[in-house]
Amino acid sequence: MQQSALHKILFTLSLIAALVFPGLAFAHSIAGGDASFVEASNGPAIFPFMYLGAKHMVTGYDHLLFLVGVIFFLYRPRHVVQYVTLFAIGHSITLLIGVLANVQVNAYFIDAIIGLSIVYKAFENMDGFKRLLGFEPNTRVAVFVFGLFHGLGLATKLQEFNLSPNGLVINIISFNVGVEIGQVLALSAVFILLSVWRTRDSFLRNAFVTNTALMTGGFLLAGFQLSALFLQSPY
Amino acid sequence: MPQVDTGNAPSPRTIIIASVIAFVVAMLVLFTAILPAEFGKDPLGTGGLLGLTALSRGENPVEDQPVAHKSDVVEFVLDPFQSVEYKYLMDLDTSMVFSWVASNEVYYDMHAEPAGLGPEAAVSYESGTAEQQMGAFHAPFTGIHGWFWENRGSRTVEIRLYSSGFYVDATVFQDGGSYEREIASITD
Repeated sequence: MQQSALHKILFTLSLIAALVFPGLAFAHSIAGGDASFVEASNGPAIFPFMYLGAKHMVTGYDHLLFLVGVIFFLYRPRHVVQYVTLFAIGHSITLLIGVLANVQVNAYFIDAIIGLSIVYKAFENMDGFKRLLGFEPNTRVAVFVFGLFHGLGLATKLQEFNLSPNGLVINIISFNVGVEIGQVLALSAVFILLSVWRTRDSFLRNAFVTNTALMTGGFLLAGFQLSALFLQSPY
Repeated sequence: MPQVDTGNAPSPRTIIIASVIAFVVAMLVLFTAILPAEFGKDPLGTGGLLGLTALSRGENPVEDQPVAHKSDVVEFVLDPFQSVEYKYLMDLDTSMVFSWVASNEVYYDMHAEPAGLGPEAAVSYESGTAEQQMGAFHAPFTGIHGWFWENRGSRTVEIRLYSSGFYVDATVFQDGGSYEREIASITD
């Protein structure tokens, strides 16, 4: 029993590592040809920015791991829509305000908080708040607040560029709409996979282990971003 | 959130143990692998042991070249509706800086042909009408890289190109023919 639990943990961890590591190399920002496009665009470019937003979300393992945590115990599509809408409202607010009011926050710091939001969600899924700390924070408020942080993270990615004020509002809104599209695409896939898994006994048996692995991923992301915050040369 | 009774709900002890395991595993991976591989820090010596430290060496902003660079100044006079092409033979990943100035607006097309593939494989980098263009160029492949200029006005135009870079030589294509131009190394 003990042995098989260990195997499960190792298996799930290696899965998460396989998901997380290829992305870490790129520190998940907008890069390469996409970056030069963003730099060069002067004026409204609705669909390119929409595409970049969707791409950022679909390839953004930090946002995705958090959302996996959020919908892990949501069985009804109605609840998924509710929670994801709260998350979307939260990150839209800070993405728009962050870029338009030019709020300067350190990207690594925000990304570390995003990593810790995964830890938080996993801990909640493990029933940690109820059984260990004796209270349950409102899950809807938590998702909304973390949405605010995720939006600030998105804003810092866009602010790395010298964005042209020409068409800025339209481009930011397009980016945000793209983020929602990417989120729906990624979440549908995750929800379908979870729904299939839920029909099996192994879901409840492994739920705790899976969330432990999710928590490990969150700690890893936070550790990675904090290391970058303190160790990376500013140039 | 709808909670499901799993029948064997985790005890507080299990939750603590699991959380500690999650944290320790994450820190272990961070200190043994990520710090050496991504940030060049090797607190436990595992980076050197596993060869991970080598990954953290970023791209060197200096690109050494085996030979000295060359410098070129060339002038073309184009009558109305006359055109000329001037291209440098450059190896993959070599660079040049350039500025050209025309006495009147000309049509230009900065483009390249990969070595051995001929004009059908030509790639255009930038085109338009202008009186000048200044820039830096980094050859994305081995081949001939340069400009096509055309005088679409009604007056004669003089174009003067200044460049320095790690090119081999230049070729002029004009009036249906072409000839090579030797360019001396800056140290000769």
